[in-house]
Amino acid sequence: MILAQSNMIDGLKDQLQNLTADIIWIAPEITLVITLVLLLVFDLLFKQNKSTGIIIISLAGLILSTLLLLSSWDQLMASQLLMGGLIKLDQGAVFFKILFNVGAVLSLTMMLRHRKKDFFFSSSEPLILVFGLLLGVYLMTMAVNLLMVYVSVELVSICSYLLVGIYKKRSNSEAAIKYLLFGAVASAVMIYGMSWLYGFTGTLDFTSVQFIDGLHLVPLLPLSLALVMTVAGFVFKLGAFPFHIWSPDVYESAPTPFVALLSTLPKLAALTLIFRFVQGMDLEVVNWQLWLSIIAIASMTIGNFSALWQKDAKRMLAYSSIAQAGFLLVGLIAFSESGETAALFYGVIYLAMNFAVFFLIQLFENEEGRIPFDAFKGKGTQEPWIGALLLIIMISLTGLPPTAGFNGKLFVFSAIWESWEANGQGVLLWVFIFGLLNTAVSLFYYLKIPFLMFFKKPSEDISVNNISQLDRFWGTLLVCPLLVWFFKSDGVLNLLNSINFVF
Amino acid sequence: MIENLLTYIIFTPLIGALVILILPKAQSHLYRVVALVSMALTLMLVLMAVSNFDASVEGLTNSESQLQLTQKTEWFSIELGSLGKFSVDYFVGVDGLNLSLLLLAAIVLFIGAIASWKIENKKKGYFGLYLLLSSSILGCFVALDFFLFYLFFEFMLLPMYFLIGIWGGPKREYAAIKFFIYTLVGSILILIVMIGLYNSVYDPIKTGVEAGVFDATQKPTSEMIIQIQSSVQNGRIDVSNIVKSFNMISMADEANYLPDSFLGKTSLSEIFGQPARWIAFLALLIGFAIKLPAFPFHTWLPDAHVEAPTPVSVVLAGILLKIGGYGIIRTAFSFFPDAAFHYSWLIGFFGLFSILYGAMNALAQKDLKKLIAYSSISHMGFVLLGLAAMTVEGVTGAIYQMFSHGLISSMLFLIAGVIYDRTQDRGIENYGGLAHQMPKYTVMVTIAFFASLGLPGFSGFIAELMVFIGAFKSFGVIGAIPYWMPIVATLGLVLAAGYYLWTLQRMFFGKFWVKDKAWKESLTDLNTREYVMLIPLVVLILWFGIYPATLLNLIGNSVEGFVQLLSQSIQK
Repeated sequence: MILAQSNMIDGLKDQLQNLTADIIWIAPEITLVITLVLLLVFDLLFKQNKSTGIIIISLAGLILSTLLLLSSWDQLMASQLLMGGLIKLDQGAVFFKILFNVGAVLSLTMMLRHRKKDFFFSSSEPLILVFGLLLGVYLMTMAVNLLMVYVSVELVSICSYLLVGIYKKRSNSEAAIKYLLFGAVASAVMIYGMSWLYGFTGTLDFTSVQFIDGLHLVPLLPLSLALVMTVAGFVFKLGAFPFHIWSPDVYESAPTPFVALLSTLPKLAALTLIFRFVQGMDLEVVNWQLWLSIIAIASMTIGNFSALWQKDAKRMLAYSSIAQAGFLLVGLIAFSESGETAALFYGVIYLAMNFAVFFLIQLFENEEGRIPFDAFKGKGTQEPWIGALLLIIMISLTGLPPTAGFNGKLFVFSAIWESWEANGQGVLLWVFIFGLLNTAVSLFYYLKIPFLMFFKKPSEDISVNNISQLDRFWGTLLVCPLLVWFFKSDGVLNLLNSINFVF
Repeated sequence: MIENLLTYIIFTPLIGALVILILPKAQSHLYRVVALVSMALTLMLVLMAVSNFDASVEGLTNSESQLQLTQKTEWFSIELGSLGKFSVDYFVGVDGLNLSLLLLAAIVLFIGAIASWKIENKKKGYFGLYLLLSSSILGCFVALDFFLFYLFFEFMLLPMYFLIGIWGGPKREYAAIKFFIYTLVGSILILIVMIGLYNSVYDPIKTGVEAGVFDATQKPTSEMIIQIQSSVQNGRIDVSNIVKSFNMISMADEANYLPDSFLGKTSLSEIFGQPARWIAFLALLIGFAIKLPAFPFHTWLPDAHVEAPTPVSVVLAGILLKIGGYGIIRTAFSFFPDAAFHYSWLIGFFGLFSILYGAMNALAQKDLKKLIAYSSISHMGFVLLGLAAMTVEGVTGAIYQMFSHGLISSMLFLIAGVIYDRTQDRGIENYGGLAHQMPKYTVMVTIAFFASLGLPGFSGFIAELMVFIGAFKSFGVIGAIPYWMPIVATLGLVLAAGYYLWTLQRMFFGKFWVKDKAWKESLTDLNTREYVMLIPLVVLILWFGIYPATLLNLIGNSVEGFVQLLSQSIQK
């Protein structure tokens, strides 16, 4: 009895020691939490003129966590299991976390350049939610334990619902409720699937040998059901078919800086999560390539064809991001080293493209926070520079040279081709052909904004937003990588190549 | 200077475009001057390239040694880990296959710049885009790296889209997007094959360097290259040292395909139950046939031509279509000669069909510009027919036809522009007896029409004659297309004579009559600017009709090398 107790105490001691040793590795996450608390306290202490303080605190938090991440990049030789095996830190995760920080900074910039800037900084509520979301995606990229997966996905989801509903208007509430309902169902399905998996294997750590061995003993039907249900939750966060229906309403009515954030960070985090979940589970009975290919093809096709009929820029981009989710999956489907690199590269480009496009279309936002297509009519002659920048981004989103979007597509589809050559699985060829042909469809709607800007006469009743030099500067800065990475993408790619992610 | 000549040719218009971008609005009268000067400079540089071209160099078109004025530097390369790496080069050069088209492009673009003189609306954008377009067209003709080629090929679409969509006619928006999407579908097919190809092809020189067989500074001899090739084929070089490449010249040599590669000569791979090489060939062929355009992928062309402003129609008909033909020669036929032979019947048939279908459509048109557009489809059919013949005469004829049609169709579109400038109407039935009112114009029209219908003495005659000779010989020499194809194709000539002479009769002869009395005042004869555009074209058309050796000497050896490459790989 006493022996057992002392054993237990020893065990706890060990665990505690491990935890303290782990703290250095999770310093960036701790920084985020501290920033979040600081923001909260600051909001309570000060009554007026809070905006400067809020901005300084958030920027400081982001910069500090980025610096910590950069320093851990060098120290991190092999991947580390932290917090008693709940999360796994590797270079891939660090890379993504830095990317998320970049996204958060850009979103902050968008808030600062928004025409209703005061709204975002009058209280610290919006930024607290942003930091909550950031913490969630951090954990999502590292999660290797089903419990952690669930917690992080829920953290991201709850912050997202609140960010969508933050305008407290009718349309926002509608979108937020839709999002919430879909999200709740998806996470219920996911946790149900997870409970089956736990029941099959007796462990929550989906990278462990016990988990894989356990799954080998399960008959095909229940196994498939459990996996489908679990992956459904991830696909919801990725915003891919068949869990994409919430996107258009959410994108249309949420504040644009948050849309930019929601269209990138959770998607990329979900991508890494699917990466980890799927790659570890090399089961002969489960044909991941086939399943994910179907999701990818359906997302690309449905997203693109639905986008054709939209009349609102943000709604159109919502469908575009559904299609892009399909393209993000393509690199993963290749299940090869080059596919992984290609998918990571596409992820980076996707983030750059989305922030650039949302930053620029935000300049055309009207009083209600909507961006109908009419707002672009004839603006090309008044604002040729902004028009040219938007054109470059749209070309990049379509995936044509000379923009980085082309390289991104070239690499993911090359990877698909390679693995098709290697294993001859027919569905990969379909992904290849459908994916590329989808490009032609997407051109039609991506070109709509430049088309309206340059080909149409401006309509009288729409007021011209003042676009300042600073906006032009930021826009140019955001577009630059899209051109630079076309002409010189080997630097980034060779860096991505050196990352040990899952393989 | 000489070694960087092609780079200068590509970048001169680009620099002009930058100058226009920088020039303030107050200096807007200078935009057209900048455009004209940069195109004149480019033309001079191209003429320099032609005069420096040594036409006596022989060799198969898949060897880099027969290329001239080459420039090759690594653009970027990416490590693929255990799969070796792949590299993209900035690789430009000329041989007989593209030199003639480069010359044509420079001439037509220069004339297009003169024709643009009277553009008044949004000048900065127009001339900037025009120069951007020129740059990518010239780049497309000299690029020998598939990636680089594809960059220029795709980049052409954007300026063209805006040139049609902003400065075009009443239905310009529809025409512009139709043009863009049609061509994009074509280029996606090309991209698909490009991805497949670079995964199958390696660069022997770079692989040799990577594997440490020879030094990067050393210039490898052909023996060394053959040695590398056999080492790769026997698997003696480690996979991680293999450098995959987009080099279009390497792609045309079957020794540069990796052993057991998907698109290699001996590959047994299949797509949808057909050999992979055949499918890849078809994808390339359709991709470029859309651009050419051949039946049934031609429907974008009448719209685009009719709606585009005159100078843009000139560039479109004069050069852009030729990129389709050039692409088929440089990629589809060169990479997959066996598949080309297999499908030669089909290619010949679609060529024949385009000739007849285009001509019959032209016969039915009421709009002068639309008539010319359909005649372009008809004439581009000869290019396909000549290529399908796979004989020296046929291929020479195809290239000659592209060159000659570039000059003639430019002239035809300028002529249509002349009348449109004066009355804003191109309806054939709205005019009669114009010869009385505009005698000099009528002379020009007659020359252009006769040249286009293939009258001896004009360049079109030589081209079509060569195509016919090549197509007749084809069955006996190589067995590619049957005798009846060229025989039926001659009907195209009759139809061409029909629609041109009929138009001439309706519009120019008889008693003077116009639909709107007010037009009589505005229907003045040609002015100096129009002479400056038309006279050089007339001279060139006559020159290449009377003394074809100028061009034939230039392209002769390369065409022979090309046909030899085809027949070698067919016989194997």
